[in-house]
Amino acid sequence: MSYIGIKQFLRERLPLAALDAHLRKPLPKHINLLFSFGSLAMFLLLLQAATGAFLAFYYSPSPEHAHNAVTYISTEVPFGAFVRGLHHWGASALVIIVVLHLLRVVLYSSYKAPRELTWIFGVLLLLVVLGFGFTGYLLPWDEKAYWATVVGVEIASTAPGLGDFVAKVLRGGTEIGAVTLSRFYALHTIWLPWLVFGLVGAHLFFVRYYGSSGTPKNTPEEMSTGKPFYPHQVFEDVVGMLILFVILAAVALFVPVPLEDVADPTNADYDPRPEWYFLFLFQLLKYFQGPFEIIGTFVIPTVGMLLLLFLPFLDKSERTVLWKRPIALTVTSICVVGIVVLTILGGTSKKLETTEAAGQETTQPIEQIQGVATPDTDAETVDEGEAVFDFQLTEEEIENAIAVEEGQQ
Amino acid sequence: MKKKSRRSFLEIATAFIGGLISLAAGIPLIGFAISPAFKKGESKWVDLGLADRLKNSRFKKVDYTFTAKDGWVKATKKRSVYVTDAGNGEWDVFSRTCSHLGCLVRWDEKQESFLCPCHGAIFDKTGAVIAGPPPDPLQKLETKVEAGILYVKES
Repeated sequence: MSYIGIKQFLRERLPLAALDAHLRKPLPKHINLLFSFGSLAMFLLLLQAATGAFLAFYYSPSPEHAHNAVTYISTEVPFGAFVRGLHHWGASALVIIVVLHLLRVVLYSSYKAPRELTWIFGVLLLLVVLGFGFTGYLLPWDEKAYWATVVGVEIASTAPGLGDFVAKVLRGGTEIGAVTLSRFYALHTIWLPWLVFGLVGAHLFFVRYYGSSGTPKNTPEEMSTGKPFYPHQVFEDVVGMLILFVILAAVALFVPVPLEDVADPTNADYDPRPEWYFLFLFQLLKYFQGPFEIIGTFVIPTVGMLLLLFLPFLDKSERTVLWKRPIALTVTSICVVGIVVLTILGGTSKKLETTEAAGQETTQPIEQIQGVATPDTDAETVDEGEAVFDFQLTEEEIENAIAVEEGQQ
Repeated sequence: MKKKSRRSFLEIATAFIGGLISLAAGIPLIGFAISPAFKKGESKWVDLGLADRLKNSRFKKVDYTFTAKDGWVKATKKRSVYVTDAGNGEWDVFSRTCSHLGCLVRWDEKQESFLCPCHGAIFDKTGAVIAGPPPDPLQKLETKVEAGILYVKES
Protein backbone atom coordinates (compact mmCIF):
# COMPACT_ATOMS: atom_id res chain seq x y z
CA MET A 1 0.00 0.00 0.00
CA SER A 2 1.42 3.35 -1.00
CA TYR A 3 1.70 6.37 1.29
CA ILE A 4 -1.28 7.99 -0.45
CA GLY A 5 -3.19 4.72 -0.11
CA ILE A 6 -2.52 4.58 3.64
CA LYS A 7 -3.56 8.23 4.00
CA GLN A 8 -6.77 7.54 2.11
CA PHE A 9 -7.43 4.43 4.23
CA LEU A 10 -7.02 6.43 7.45
CA ARG A 11 -9.07 9.40 6.16
CA GLU A 12 -11.96 7.08 5.47
CA ARG A 13 -11.83 5.58 8.96
CA LEU A 14 -10.75 8.42 11.27
CA PRO A 15 -12.06 11.98 11.59
CA LEU A 16 -8.74 13.35 10.33
CA ALA A 17 -10.32 16.19 8.37
CA ALA A 18 -12.16 17.43 11.48
CA LEU A 19 -8.95 17.10 13.55
CA ASP A 20 -7.01 18.98 10.88
CA ALA A 21 -9.56 21.81 10.84
CA HIS A 22 -9.49 21.93 14.64
CA LEU A 23 -5.69 22.14 14.77
CA ARG A 24 -5.62 24.88 12.15
CA LYS A 25 -8.12 27.04 14.05
CA PRO A 26 -6.72 30.58 14.28
CA LEU A 27 -5.44 31.81 17.62
CA PRO A 28 -6.01 35.32 18.99
CA LYS A 29 -3.71 37.99 17.64
CA HIS A 30 -0.63 39.16 19.59
CA ILE A 31 0.24 35.67 20.85
CA ASN A 32 3.88 35.79 21.90
CA LEU A 33 6.60 33.39 23.02
CA LEU A 34 5.29 33.37 26.61
CA PHE A 35 2.38 31.30 25.31
CA SER A 36 4.75 28.38 24.71
CA PHE A 37 5.25 27.61 28.42
CA GLY A 38 2.24 25.28 28.49
CA SER A 39 3.57 23.26 25.55
CA LEU A 40 7.03 23.21 27.11
CA ALA A 41 5.56 21.89 30.38
CA MET A 42 3.75 19.21 28.39
CA PHE A 43 6.99 18.32 26.61
CA LEU A 44 8.87 18.02 29.91
CA LEU A 45 6.10 15.89 31.40
CA LEU A 46 6.41 13.50 28.44
CA LEU A 47 10.21 13.50 28.77
CA GLN A 48 9.87 12.72 32.49
CA ALA A 49 7.42 9.91 31.66
CA ALA A 50 9.78 8.45 29.05
CA THR A 51 12.98 8.69 31.10
CA GLY A 52 11.16 7.46 34.21
CA ALA A 53 9.72 4.46 32.38
CA PHE A 54 13.20 3.53 31.15
CA LEU A 55 14.86 4.10 34.55
CA ALA A 56 12.35 1.66 36.03
CA PHE A 57 14.05 -1.12 34.02
CA TYR A 58 16.98 -0.98 36.43
CA TYR A 59 15.42 0.17 39.67
CA SER A 60 14.29 -1.85 42.67
CA PRO A 61 12.25 -0.10 45.38
CA SER A 62 13.65 -1.72 48.49
CA PRO A 63 16.07 -0.25 51.06
CA GLU A 64 18.50 -3.13 50.37
CA HIS A 65 18.64 -2.49 46.63
CA ALA A 66 17.56 1.07 45.79
CA HIS A 67 20.86 2.87 46.41
CA ASN A 68 22.92 0.16 44.69
CA ALA A 69 20.53 0.12 41.75
CA VAL A 70 20.84 3.89 41.30
CA THR A 71 24.64 3.64 41.56
CA TYR A 72 24.55 0.86 38.97
CA ILE A 73 22.43 3.03 36.63
CA SER A 74 24.80 5.97 37.04
CA THR A 75 28.08 4.11 36.71
CA GLU A 76 27.60 0.88 34.77
CA VAL A 77 24.62 1.02 32.42
CA PRO A 78 25.41 2.63 29.04
CA PHE A 79 23.68 6.05 28.83
CA GLY A 80 22.60 5.52 32.46
CA ALA A 81 24.09 8.72 33.85
CA PHE A 82 22.59 10.66 30.93
CA VAL A 83 19.10 9.19 31.31
CA ARG A 84 19.15 9.74 35.07
CA GLY A 85 20.48 13.26 34.47
CA LEU A 86 17.64 14.03 32.05
CA HIS A 87 15.11 12.76 34.61
CA HIS A 88 16.66 14.54 37.60
CA TRP A 89 17.32 17.92 35.97
CA GLY A 90 14.13 17.55 33.93
CA ALA A 91 12.18 17.54 37.19
CA SER A 92 13.71 20.87 38.19
CA ALA A 93 13.12 22.28 34.71
CA LEU A 94 9.49 21.15 34.88
CA VAL A 95 8.93 23.00 38.16
CA ILE A 96 10.48 26.17 36.67
CA ILE A 97 8.45 25.99 33.46
CA VAL A 98 5.19 25.23 35.29
CA VAL A 99 5.72 28.22 37.59
CA LEU A 100 6.56 30.48 34.62
CA HIS A 101 3.41 29.21 32.88
CA LEU A 102 1.39 30.05 35.97
CA LEU A 103 2.92 33.53 36.18
CA ARG A 104 2.15 34.19 32.51
CA VAL A 105 -1.47 33.20 33.14
CA VAL A 106 -1.67 35.49 36.20
CA LEU A 107 -0.04 38.46 34.49
CA TYR A 108 -2.27 38.20 31.39
CA SER A 109 -5.43 37.58 33.49
CA SER A 110 -5.96 34.34 31.60
CA TYR A 111 -7.53 32.69 34.65
CA LYS A 112 -10.58 34.93 34.53
CA ALA A 113 -14.04 33.88 33.32
CA PRO A 114 -14.78 31.74 31.41
CA ARG A 115 -11.45 29.96 32.00
CA GLU A 116 -11.80 29.21 35.74
CA LEU A 117 -11.81 25.45 35.19
CA THR A 118 -8.68 25.61 33.00
CA TRP A 119 -6.98 27.44 35.87
CA ILE A 120 -8.19 25.04 38.59
CA PHE A 121 -6.95 22.00 36.68
CA GLY A 122 -3.68 23.85 36.07
CA VAL A 123 -3.17 24.49 39.80
CA LEU A 124 -3.98 20.84 40.53
CA LEU A 125 -1.32 19.92 37.97
CA LEU A 126 1.19 22.13 39.81
CA LEU A 127 0.39 20.23 43.03
CA VAL A 128 0.85 16.89 41.27
CA VAL A 129 4.18 18.05 39.82
CA LEU A 130 5.33 18.92 43.35
CA GLY A 131 3.99 15.53 44.46
CA PHE A 132 6.14 13.87 41.80
CA GLY A 133 9.14 15.76 43.18
CA PHE A 134 8.42 14.77 46.77
CA THR A 135 7.82 11.07 46.02
CA GLY A 136 10.67 10.94 43.51
CA TYR A 137 13.53 12.06 45.59
CA LEU A 138 13.07 9.32 48.19
CA LEU A 139 13.75 6.72 45.51
CA PRO A 140 17.60 6.87 45.43
CA TRP A 141 17.48 6.07 49.18
CA ASP A 142 20.43 8.28 50.01
CA GLU A 143 20.79 10.60 53.00
CA LYS A 144 19.00 13.49 51.30
CA ALA A 145 16.17 11.18 50.22
CA TYR A 146 15.69 9.77 53.68
CA TRP A 147 15.95 12.93 55.76
CA ALA A 148 13.98 15.18 53.41
CA THR A 149 11.20 12.60 53.50
CA VAL A 150 11.36 12.35 57.29
CA VAL A 151 10.89 16.13 57.50
CA GLY A 152 8.26 16.22 54.73
CA VAL A 153 6.12 13.57 56.36
CA GLU A 154 6.50 15.24 59.77
CA ILE A 155 5.18 18.45 58.17
CA ALA A 156 2.11 16.52 57.01
CA SER A 157 1.69 15.11 60.52
CA THR A 158 1.13 18.59 61.98
CA ALA A 159 -2.16 19.00 60.10
CA PRO A 160 -4.90 19.30 62.71
CA GLY A 161 -7.06 16.23 63.22
CA LEU A 162 -5.92 13.93 60.45
CA GLY A 163 -2.20 14.81 60.52
CA ASP A 164 -1.00 11.74 62.36
CA PHE A 165 -3.21 9.49 60.26
CA VAL A 166 -1.95 11.04 56.99
CA ALA A 167 1.67 10.68 58.13
CA LYS A 168 1.17 7.01 58.99
CA VAL A 169 -0.53 6.37 55.66
CA LEU A 170 2.31 8.13 53.80
CA ARG A 171 4.98 6.18 55.69
CA GLY A 172 3.02 2.94 55.73
CA GLY A 173 3.70 2.79 59.46
CA THR A 174 5.36 4.78 62.17
CA GLU A 175 8.74 5.22 60.51
CA ILE A 176 10.30 5.59 57.08
CA GLY A 177 11.37 2.19 55.78
CA ALA A 178 10.74 -0.52 53.22
CA VAL A 179 6.98 0.05 53.13
CA THR A 180 7.46 3.81 52.64
CA LEU A 181 9.86 3.33 49.75
CA SER A 182 7.55 0.83 48.11
CA ARG A 183 4.50 3.09 48.34
CA PHE A 184 6.39 6.20 47.25
CA TYR A 185 7.55 4.24 44.21
CA ALA A 186 3.95 3.16 43.51
CA LEU A 187 2.74 6.75 43.91
CA HIS A 188 5.55 8.11 41.72
CA THR A 189 5.24 5.59 38.89
CA ILE A 190 1.59 4.49 38.89
CA TRP A 191 -0.83 6.66 40.87
CA LEU A 192 0.51 10.14 40.06
CA PRO A 193 1.06 9.38 36.36
CA TRP A 194 -2.59 8.27 36.03
CA LEU A 195 -3.67 11.36 37.92
CA VAL A 196 -1.54 13.63 35.76
CA PHE A 197 -2.89 11.92 32.64
CA GLY A 198 -6.45 12.75 33.69
CA LEU A 199 -5.62 16.29 34.81
CA VAL A 200 -3.67 17.11 31.64
CA GLY A 201 -6.56 15.72 29.60
CA ALA A 202 -9.05 17.96 31.42
CA HIS A 203 -6.71 20.98 31.29
CA LEU A 204 -6.12 20.58 27.54
CA PHE A 205 -9.82 20.04 26.90
CA PHE A 206 -10.63 23.35 28.57
CA VAL A 207 -7.72 25.10 26.84
CA ARG A 208 -9.10 24.03 23.46
CA TYR A 209 -12.77 24.42 24.42
CA TYR A 210 -12.49 28.01 25.67
CA GLY A 211 -9.57 28.83 23.41
CA SER A 212 -6.49 30.81 24.26
CA SER A 213 -7.15 33.94 26.28
CA GLY A 214 -4.74 35.91 24.15
CA THR A 215 -3.14 39.01 25.59
CA PRO A 216 -4.90 42.01 27.15
CA LYS A 217 -4.14 43.84 23.88
CA ASN A 218 -6.69 41.77 21.99
CA THR A 219 -9.97 43.33 21.00
CA PRO A 220 -12.92 40.88 20.83
CA GLU A 221 -12.63 40.96 17.00
CA GLU A 222 -9.00 39.92 17.20
CA MET A 223 -9.69 36.77 19.23
CA SER A 224 -9.81 34.54 16.17
CA THR A 225 -7.86 36.43 13.55
CA GLY A 226 -4.34 35.43 14.53
CA LYS A 227 -2.11 32.71 13.12
CA PRO A 228 -3.37 29.14 13.11
CA PHE A 229 -2.35 26.89 16.01
CA TYR A 230 -0.88 24.41 13.55
CA PRO A 231 1.66 24.80 12.09
CA HIS A 232 2.55 28.34 13.27
CA GLN A 233 2.21 28.03 17.06
CA VAL A 234 3.31 24.38 17.05
CA PHE A 235 6.45 25.35 15.12
CA GLU A 236 7.35 27.95 17.75
CA ASP A 237 6.62 25.41 20.46
CA VAL A 238 8.89 22.74 18.97
CA VAL A 239 11.70 25.28 18.54
CA GLY A 240 11.30 26.04 22.26
CA MET A 241 11.32 22.32 23.01
CA LEU A 242 14.51 21.86 21.00
CA ILE A 243 16.25 24.70 22.86
CA LEU A 244 15.04 23.32 26.20
CA PHE A 245 16.13 19.80 25.30
CA VAL A 246 19.61 20.96 24.21
CA ILE A 247 20.07 22.83 27.51
CA LEU A 248 18.77 19.89 29.52
CA ALA A 249 20.93 17.39 27.62
CA ALA A 250 24.02 19.57 28.18
CA VAL A 251 23.30 19.78 31.90
CA ALA A 252 22.62 16.01 32.04
CA LEU A 253 25.94 15.37 30.27
CA PHE A 254 28.14 17.74 32.22
CA VAL A 255 26.58 18.08 35.67
CA PRO A 256 26.56 14.77 37.55
CA VAL A 257 23.38 14.02 39.46
CA PRO A 258 24.19 13.98 43.16
CA LEU A 259 23.95 10.68 45.01
CA GLU A 260 24.85 10.85 48.67
CA ASP A 261 25.72 7.97 50.98
CA VAL A 262 23.08 5.35 51.57
CA ALA A 263 20.32 6.45 53.98
CA ASP A 264 21.35 6.08 57.59
CA PRO A 265 18.63 6.74 60.19
CA THR A 266 21.31 7.12 62.90
CA ASN A 267 23.41 9.70 61.11
CA ALA A 268 22.91 12.77 63.30
CA ASP A 269 25.77 14.56 61.51
CA TYR A 270 23.70 14.97 58.38
CA ASP A 271 21.99 18.33 57.80
CA PRO A 272 18.73 17.56 55.99
CA ARG A 273 17.88 19.88 53.11
CA PRO A 274 14.99 19.44 50.65
CA GLU A 275 15.17 19.89 46.87
CA TRP A 276 15.53 23.56 45.91
CA TYR A 277 11.85 23.91 45.03
CA PHE A 278 10.83 23.14 48.62
CA LEU A 279 13.55 25.33 50.19
CA PHE A 280 11.16 28.28 50.68
CA LEU A 281 8.93 26.11 52.83
CA PHE A 282 11.96 24.74 54.69
CA GLN A 283 13.06 28.30 55.48
CA LEU A 284 9.56 29.46 56.36
CA LEU A 285 9.27 26.80 59.07
CA LYS A 286 12.15 28.39 61.01
CA TYR A 287 10.12 31.53 61.74
CA PHE A 288 7.22 29.82 63.50
CA GLN A 289 8.21 28.41 66.83
CA GLY A 290 6.51 26.58 69.68
CA PRO A 291 2.73 26.82 69.51
CA PHE A 292 2.98 28.79 66.23
CA GLU A 293 4.69 25.88 64.43
CA ILE A 294 1.42 24.90 62.75
CA ILE A 295 1.26 28.29 61.01
CA GLY A 296 4.35 27.43 58.97
CA THR A 297 3.66 23.75 58.47
CA PHE A 298 -0.06 23.84 57.78
CA VAL A 299 -1.83 27.19 57.80
CA ILE A 300 0.31 29.15 55.30
CA PRO A 301 0.77 26.30 52.76
CA THR A 302 -2.91 25.30 52.92
CA VAL A 303 -4.33 28.81 52.79
CA GLY A 304 -1.82 29.74 50.05
CA MET A 305 -2.85 26.78 47.93
CA LEU A 306 -6.58 27.39 48.47
CA LEU A 307 -6.18 31.06 47.52
CA LEU A 308 -4.29 30.05 44.41
CA LEU A 309 -6.86 27.40 43.51
CA PHE A 310 -9.81 29.76 43.86
CA LEU A 311 -8.08 32.86 42.48
CA PRO A 312 -10.58 33.28 39.60
CA PHE A 313 -13.41 33.57 42.13
CA LEU A 314 -11.50 36.02 44.33
CA ASP A 315 -10.42 38.32 41.53
CA LYS A 316 -13.53 38.84 39.43
CA SER A 317 -12.61 42.26 38.05
CA GLU A 318 -12.83 42.53 34.29
CA ARG A 319 -9.64 44.54 34.01
CA THR A 320 -6.96 42.56 32.25
CA VAL A 321 -4.18 45.07 31.66
CA LEU A 322 -1.48 44.59 34.26
CA TRP A 323 -0.93 48.21 35.33
CA LYS A 324 -4.66 48.61 35.93
CA ARG A 325 -4.60 45.73 38.45
CA PRO A 326 -2.51 47.15 41.32
CA ILE A 327 -3.68 44.61 43.91
CA ALA A 328 -3.00 41.60 41.68
CA LEU A 329 0.38 43.03 40.70
CA THR A 330 1.35 43.76 44.33
CA VAL A 331 0.23 40.38 45.69
CA THR A 332 1.96 38.48 42.86
CA SER A 333 5.15 40.50 43.30
CA ILE A 334 5.18 39.93 47.08
CA CYS A 335 4.62 36.19 46.60
CA VAL A 336 7.34 35.86 43.94
CA VAL A 337 9.88 37.97 45.84
CA GLY A 338 8.98 36.22 49.11
CA ILE A 339 9.43 32.74 47.63
CA VAL A 340 12.69 33.71 45.89
CA VAL A 341 14.11 35.33 49.06
CA LEU A 342 13.08 32.38 51.25
CA THR A 343 14.58 29.96 48.71
CA ILE A 344 17.88 31.86 48.71
CA LEU A 345 17.91 32.09 52.52
CA GLY A 346 17.10 28.39 52.79
CA GLY A 347 19.76 27.44 50.26
CA THR A 348 22.46 29.54 51.84
CA SER A 349 21.56 28.81 55.47
CA LYS A 350 24.56 27.63 57.44
CA LYS A 351 24.83 23.99 58.28
CA LEU A 352 24.88 23.10 61.94
CA GLU A 353 28.28 23.01 63.60
CA THR A 354 28.53 21.25 66.93
CA THR A 355 31.27 20.35 69.33
CA GLU A 356 30.98 16.96 70.93
CA ALA A 357 30.85 16.92 74.72
CA ALA A 358 33.84 15.07 76.16
CA GLY A 359 33.03 11.50 77.11
CA GLN A 360 29.63 11.75 75.48
CA GLU A 361 29.70 8.11 74.42
CA THR A 362 29.79 6.91 78.01
CA THR A 363 26.87 8.90 79.34
CA GLN A 364 24.65 5.83 78.93
CA PRO A 365 24.73 3.13 81.61
CA ILE A 366 27.26 0.50 80.59
CA GLU A 367 24.59 -2.28 80.46
CA GLN A 368 22.69 -0.35 77.83
CA ILE A 369 25.78 0.08 75.70
CA GLN A 370 26.41 -3.66 75.87
CA GLY A 371 22.78 -4.30 75.01
CA VAL A 372 22.90 -2.35 71.76
CA ALA A 373 26.44 -3.17 70.72
CA THR A 374 26.56 -4.42 67.17
CA PRO A 375 27.98 -7.91 66.77
CA ASP A 376 30.95 -8.04 64.46
CA THR A 377 29.37 -10.52 62.09
CA ASP A 378 31.73 -9.65 59.23
CA ALA A 379 34.75 -10.94 61.10
CA GLU A 380 35.72 -14.22 59.51
CA THR A 381 37.54 -15.46 62.60
CA VAL A 382 34.36 -15.70 64.67
CA ASP A 383 33.46 -19.37 64.97
CA GLU A 384 30.06 -20.71 65.78
CA GLY A 385 29.35 -20.46 69.47
CA GLU A 386 32.18 -18.08 70.08
CA ALA A 387 31.33 -14.80 71.74
CA VAL A 388 31.14 -12.05 69.22
CA PHE A 389 31.43 -9.23 71.74
CA ASP A 390 34.86 -8.23 72.76
CA PHE A 391 34.67 -6.59 76.14
CA GLN A 392 38.04 -6.73 77.84
CA LEU A 393 37.93 -6.72 81.62
CA THR A 394 40.74 -4.95 83.40
CA GLU A 395 42.89 -6.90 85.81
CA GLU A 396 41.37 -4.94 88.69
CA GLU A 397 37.84 -5.91 87.57
CA ILE A 398 38.84 -9.57 87.32
CA GLU A 399 40.35 -9.51 90.83
CA ASN A 400 37.23 -7.82 92.22
CA ALA A 401 35.00 -10.40 90.52
CA ILE A 402 37.07 -13.28 91.99
CA ALA A 403 36.92 -11.65 95.41
CA VAL A 404 33.12 -11.30 95.19
CA GLU A 405 32.77 -14.91 94.07
CA GLU A 406 35.00 -16.18 96.89
CA GLY A 407 33.09 -14.04 99.38
CA GLN A 408 29.79 -15.63 98.23
CA GLN A 409 31.21 -19.13 98.67
CA MET B 1 0.56 30.89 -2.91
CA LYS B 2 3.27 32.48 -0.79
CA LYS B 3 1.19 31.85 2.34
CA LYS B 4 0.73 28.21 1.44
CA SER B 5 4.43 27.60 0.80
CA ARG B 6 5.29 29.20 4.18
CA ARG B 7 2.77 26.93 5.84
CA SER B 8 4.16 23.83 4.21
CA PHE B 9 7.70 24.92 5.16
CA LEU B 10 6.60 25.27 8.79
CA GLU B 11 4.94 21.85 8.68
CA ILE B 12 8.11 20.22 7.36
CA ALA B 13 10.31 22.13 9.81
CA THR B 14 8.02 21.17 12.71
CA ALA B 15 8.14 17.51 11.73
CA PHE B 16 11.93 17.70 11.28
CA ILE B 17 12.57 19.29 14.68
CA GLY B 18 10.09 16.94 16.34
CA GLY B 19 11.90 13.99 14.75
CA LEU B 20 15.27 15.38 15.80
CA ILE B 21 14.20 15.66 19.46
CA SER B 22 12.66 12.18 19.35
CA LEU B 23 15.90 10.74 17.96
CA ALA B 24 18.14 12.65 20.38
CA ALA B 25 16.10 11.40 23.33
CA GLY B 26 15.12 8.05 21.86
CA ILE B 27 18.56 6.70 20.92
CA PRO B 28 20.04 6.99 24.45
CA LEU B 29 16.82 5.65 25.96
CA ILE B 30 16.71 2.61 23.67
CA GLY B 31 20.45 2.07 24.16
CA PHE B 32 19.94 2.26 27.91
CA ALA B 33 17.21 -0.38 27.78
CA ILE B 34 18.79 -2.86 25.37
CA SER B 35 22.41 -2.58 26.57
CA PRO B 36 22.33 -5.92 28.47
CA ALA B 37 22.00 -7.65 25.08
CA PHE B 38 25.50 -6.44 24.19
CA LYS B 39 27.09 -7.36 27.48
CA LYS B 40 29.44 -10.34 27.25
CA GLY B 41 28.88 -12.97 29.91
CA GLU B 42 31.90 -13.70 32.06
CA SER B 43 33.06 -17.29 32.13
CA LYS B 44 34.56 -18.74 35.28
CA TRP B 45 35.66 -22.09 36.64
CA VAL B 46 33.35 -23.41 39.33
CA ASP B 47 34.38 -25.98 41.92
CA LEU B 48 32.23 -29.18 41.77
CA GLY B 49 34.02 -30.83 44.68
CA LEU B 50 36.57 -33.63 44.98
CA ALA B 51 36.96 -35.58 41.76
CA ASP B 52 37.40 -38.79 43.79
CA ARG B 53 33.94 -38.37 45.25
CA LEU B 54 32.53 -38.48 41.72
CA LYS B 55 34.70 -41.37 40.52
CA ASN B 56 32.77 -44.09 38.63
CA SER B 57 29.66 -41.94 38.78
CA ARG B 58 27.25 -42.37 35.92
CA PHE B 59 24.89 -39.51 35.06
CA LYS B 60 25.01 -38.43 38.67
CA LYS B 61 22.97 -35.31 39.33
CA VAL B 62 25.11 -32.63 40.92
CA ASP B 63 23.73 -29.28 42.10
CA TYR B 64 26.17 -26.51 42.80
CA THR B 65 26.21 -22.82 43.56
CA PHE B 66 28.54 -20.00 42.68
CA THR B 67 28.52 -16.25 43.10
CA ALA B 68 28.17 -13.96 40.14
CA LYS B 69 27.33 -10.32 39.57
CA ASP B 70 23.67 -9.88 38.72
CA GLY B 71 23.18 -6.21 37.92
CA TRP B 72 23.87 -4.40 41.21
CA VAL B 73 23.64 -7.60 43.27
CA LYS B 74 26.33 -10.18 44.03
CA ALA B 75 24.03 -13.15 43.66
CA THR B 76 24.33 -16.82 44.48
CA LYS B 77 23.43 -18.74 41.36
CA LYS B 78 22.27 -22.34 41.39
CA ARG B 79 23.01 -24.84 38.63
CA SER B 80 22.32 -28.50 38.07
CA VAL B 81 24.35 -30.88 35.87
CA TYR B 82 24.77 -34.61 35.18
CA VAL B 83 28.30 -35.88 35.76
CA THR B 84 29.77 -39.07 34.26
CA ASP B 85 33.25 -40.41 34.86
CA ALA B 86 34.52 -41.00 31.31
CA GLY B 87 37.73 -42.70 32.56
CA ASN B 88 41.36 -41.62 32.16
CA GLY B 89 40.71 -38.59 34.31
CA GLU B 90 38.11 -37.27 31.83
CA TRP B 91 34.61 -36.19 32.81
CA ASP B 92 31.41 -35.68 30.87
CA VAL B 93 29.36 -32.93 32.45
CA PHE B 94 26.02 -32.21 30.79
CA SER B 95 24.02 -29.11 31.43
CA ARG B 96 20.46 -30.03 32.37
CA THR B 97 19.07 -27.12 30.38
CA CYS B 98 17.18 -28.37 27.33
CA SER B 99 18.53 -26.80 24.15
CA HIS B 100 14.96 -26.23 22.96
CA LEU B 101 13.40 -23.74 25.39
CA GLY B 102 15.31 -24.04 28.64
CA CYS B 103 13.36 -26.58 30.72
CA LEU B 104 15.46 -28.93 32.89
CA VAL B 105 15.95 -32.44 31.48
CA ARG B 106 15.94 -35.61 33.62
CA TRP B 107 18.11 -38.70 33.13
CA ASP B 108 16.08 -41.87 32.72
CA GLU B 109 18.13 -44.96 33.54
CA LYS B 110 15.73 -47.39 31.85
CA GLN B 111 15.71 -45.58 28.52
CA GLU B 112 19.31 -44.43 28.95
CA SER B 113 18.20 -41.01 27.75
CA PHE B 114 17.66 -37.47 28.93
CA LEU B 115 13.96 -36.59 28.83
CA CYS B 116 12.57 -33.10 28.72
CA PRO B 117 9.29 -32.59 30.61
CA CYS B 118 8.13 -29.70 28.42
CA HIS B 119 7.86 -30.56 24.72
CA GLY B 120 8.84 -34.21 24.61
CA ALA B 121 12.51 -33.83 23.67
CA ILE B 122 14.74 -36.89 24.13
CA PHE B 123 18.55 -36.83 24.11
CA ASP B 124 20.77 -39.92 24.11
CA LYS B 125 23.61 -40.49 26.59
CA THR B 126 26.00 -38.45 24.46
CA GLY B 127 23.55 -35.55 24.58
CA ALA B 128 22.51 -35.90 20.92
CA VAL B 129 18.87 -35.27 20.00
CA ILE B 130 16.86 -38.46 19.43
CA ALA B 131 13.38 -37.02 19.29
CA GLY B 132 11.45 -33.81 19.74
CA PRO B 133 11.95 -30.23 18.67
CA PRO B 134 15.45 -29.25 20.03
CA PRO B 135 17.74 -27.94 17.28
CA ASP B 136 20.96 -28.69 19.20
CA PRO B 137 22.37 -31.37 21.47
CA LEU B 138 22.61 -30.89 25.24
CA GLN B 139 25.41 -28.56 26.19
CA LYS B 140 28.53 -30.31 27.45
CA LEU B 141 30.47 -28.17 29.91
CA GLU B 142 34.22 -27.78 29.76
CA THR B 143 35.96 -29.48 32.70
CA LYS B 144 39.34 -29.64 34.36
CA VAL B 145 40.80 -31.33 37.42
CA GLU B 146 43.24 -29.43 39.58
CA ALA B 147 44.64 -30.63 42.90
CA GLY B 148 42.00 -33.37 42.91
CA ILE B 149 39.11 -30.91 42.50
CA LEU B 150 36.76 -31.14 39.51
CA TYR B 151 35.92 -27.77 37.96
CA VAL B 152 33.35 -26.88 35.28
CA LYS B 153 33.40 -23.76 33.19
CA GLU B 154 30.40 -21.53 33.74
CA SER B 155 29.66 -19.02 31.03
